[in-house]
Amino acid sequence: MEILRSLFLKSMRRRGAVRLMLGAWVAGGLAFWGTKSHAQNGVSREYQLKAVFLLNFARFTEWPSSAFENPHAPLVIATLGKNPFNDALEDVVRGETVNGRPIAVAHYSSLESIEKAHILFICESESGQIEKLINAFSGKPILAVSDLENFAVRGGMVRFITKNNKIGLRVNLGTLKASQLTMSSKLLRSAELVGTLD
Amino acid sequence: MDLKIRVTLTCNNMLRGWRGIMGKCTSICTGLLFAFTCAAQEPAGERGIQDLKKLSLDELFNQEVTVVSRRAENLSRSPSAVQVITGEEIKRSGATTLPEALRLASNLQVAQVNSHDFAISARGFNQPGGLSDKLLVMIDGRTIYTPLFAGVFWDAQNVLLEDIDRVEVISGPGASLWGANAVNGVINIISKSAADTQGGYVSVEAGSFVQDTAAFRFGGKLGTNLYFRIYGQRLDQNGALDSNGREATNAWDMTQGGFRLDWLPQQADTITFQGDVYSGTEQALPSNTTLNGENLVSRWTHTFSNESEFTVQGYIDRTWRRLPGIFAEDLKTYDLDFQYRLSVGERQTWLFGGGYRLMDDEVSNFPSGALAFLPATYDMQLASGFFQDEISLVPDLLKLTLGTKLEHNDFSGIEIQPSIRLAYMPTKRQTVWLAVSRSVRSPSRIDRDYHIPGTAPYIIDGGPNFRAEKAIAYELGYRFEPVHRLSTSISTFFNHYNDIRSVELSDPATGIFQIENGLRGQSWGVELSGRYQATDWWRLNAGYTFLKERIWQKPGHVDLSSGKGEANDPPHQFTIQSIMNLPSDFQLDLTGRYVDRLPSPNVPSYITFDARLAWEFRKHLELSVVGQNLWGSHPEFGPAGTRYEVPRSVFGKVTWRF
Repeated sequence: MEILRSLFLKSMRRRGAVRLMLGAWVAGGLAFWGTKSHAQNGVSREYQLKAVFLLNFARFTEWPSSAFENPHAPLVIATLGKNPFNDALEDVVRGETVNGRPIAVAHYSSLESIEKAHILFICESESGQIEKLINAFSGKPILAVSDLENFAVRGGMVRFITKNNKIGLRVNLGTLKASQLTMSSKLLRSAELVGTLD
Repeated sequence: MDLKIRVTLTCNNMLRGWRGIMGKCTSICTGLLFAFTCAAQEPAGERGIQDLKKLSLDELFNQEVTVVSRRAENLSRSPSAVQVITGEEIKRSGATTLPEALRLASNLQVAQVNSHDFAISARGFNQPGGLSDKLLVMIDGRTIYTPLFAGVFWDAQNVLLEDIDRVEVISGPGASLWGANAVNGVINIISKSAADTQGGYVSVEAGSFVQDTAAFRFGGKLGTNLYFRIYGQRLDQNGALDSNGREATNAWDMTQGGFRLDWLPQQADTITFQGDVYSGTEQALPSNTTLNGENLVSRWTHTFSNESEFTVQGYIDRTWRRLPGIFAEDLKTYDLDFQYRLSVGERQTWLFGGGYRLMDDEVSNFPSGALAFLPATYDMQLASGFFQDEISLVPDLLKLTLGTKLEHNDFSGIEIQPSIRLAYMPTKRQTVWLAVSRSVRSPSRIDRDYHIPGTAPYIIDGGPNFRAEKAIAYELGYRFEPVHRLSTSISTFFNHYNDIRSVELSDPATGIFQIENGLRGQSWGVELSGRYQATDWWRLNAGYTFLKERIWQKPGHVDLSSGKGEANDPPHQFTIQSIMNLPSDFQLDLTGRYVDRLPSPNVPSYITFDARLAWEFRKHLELSVVGQNLWGSHPEFGPAGTRYEVPRSVFGKVTWRF
């Protein structure tokens, strides 16, 4: 060990501190230019956070057993429209289970397949057909989530709102109940509630 | 800190007889120099997605979406050399005290002096006696350095590691925001909100060095949006070993308790009260050192809108220690600060604030002691203001931060500490930054009021003309996240110091020495760090620091130790932490480090590692075994013959969370 150390240090001293720094910079610079192009495809922190929220919705919401084909069927988190998460959703659910179920991610481009989803994130690209969407899943055990304005008020279930630079939730308890979904108070206590429970 | 030992040495030197006034002075002054060398809030840094997953719901709701620069900023974009140690990393390292946990930041020089004392510094200037005076350390916004020597008594900072959210370690100057003493670095210890520590925690440790340690915490809810926690802990540690491998008389015990209250009356307001009480004993010859203290902090943050936010904070801190026969100190600090953040137009964010601090320092000098602080009692006032403008020159691409701090202290008057920082962010995952800053280490009592011996005639007669030490720092850094799983950072720096402390013969006729500003210095170095999530169950953090320092006398100055009394640091150091989640709820963690030789006094290089094996039962019960210093005992600081070694040790720990 001592020999290794002295060899390492000797070569370092010979090159000198200045050259060490230069070397580090050249290496850093190369890495920098070499990766400049492909590092663009990251996802914003906002959607990283929202992806983690979606995972927590899976953890803190109860679906009726009829929502699953069998006790081992995966819980499906899906997006509808132009996916803003990139790979963040896949990264988040990897290795996670909820009540023994694995979690799967799906990306849909049309309304047809949404019934397989348990959590459905409606992307901004779908803003033109909100009413149609809300009708399509009303009464079904699908937790519909979106960023879109007035989503919760118009009959969606959960809307992400950004306030004070933090993510908040607006939850419509009425539609939640109509869909036989139960959301844990742990989530609801931090959410803004609209609609009524009756 | 190590003041006592060094001072004892000084006494020994004095007793050894007068071999000519110069010789004696030299030995005493060397003693003095060794004695010298002895005696933010940032929003959570950008966490990787795997870290975000581990957050509680409350924490998740508190994450900032796009982090607006407050005191510091989003880690991956911050134009400074920041390293963050998370609470989880501390837990997984097996550290039992705060200074041990700080070893996880590879941009700090951390050396254990004995059972209870640590020498901790950033970018060097860890003085040979164990004091470091160019580092600013804060616990939840409360400054903990003492104006006695402008350093930290680490043995009095026994926070409950379980409740630490993160420790932000900035190497390099932070003076334009934080002010004097933030010359070479800033350490921000940030504890979790009471809302995030709900429920109970009990842990018991027993082992060969850490003898018997117990801690508890309980958090609950007192009303809507009103959370509290209380905690208490007792630490009992053996003495470190002397050069013959026998346990020396420096065993340590510490009892500390406290509370925190967080009230969020509405979304725009956060009000926090927190406080601690502590008391400890350190074995020493001929009689033990005792210390105690308490503090109370209150803070109110109000958010007017996304564009503006106001924080006001006040605290009271009393700390007391008594080294029988040497000195006792009772320091009371009263501090009030405010800061305001405001977005101006599309491109600019202003951050400004001010503060006032009163430090009522009462030293009791022992009659016929080896040293004295004169005057014994000193009320020091510190008034400060700062302004920072962050200008987005090209949105999301080029950001300029200009700022300065103006500070008035009783010793050296007004000090100006400006900085300019430029960040270039070619992609979302890369930041290139450069900075130039001026900072000062304002005089402390050990520079001005220090006398040897304790009664006239003095050989060292204070430093009536001692001014602030100044530094200009040039920094260049690059932070890069090539993939989600890997983040890397390189920081390089060149610092130029002027007016560093020296001890000079002020009057050749009488042979009286005084403390002056007779030295200059330079330091340069490279800090590399990386975090790699190798798989979902395995994470690696590593860091390497290269540091070179040079100190020399100004024309007309000699300095009794020729500049060797102000810095003693390893040129190379390397740390690595491996965190593994194994099947069946087992955890296996390793933390290793290599620290190069310290030049003067010489301390050999060493390699060592700590290991932790834990088993978790449903997140409630955790059993762990931790081995520390497994490569074997080694000295880390101080001259041969009088220094101590921390032994190889093992302890078991039972943790219960409910």
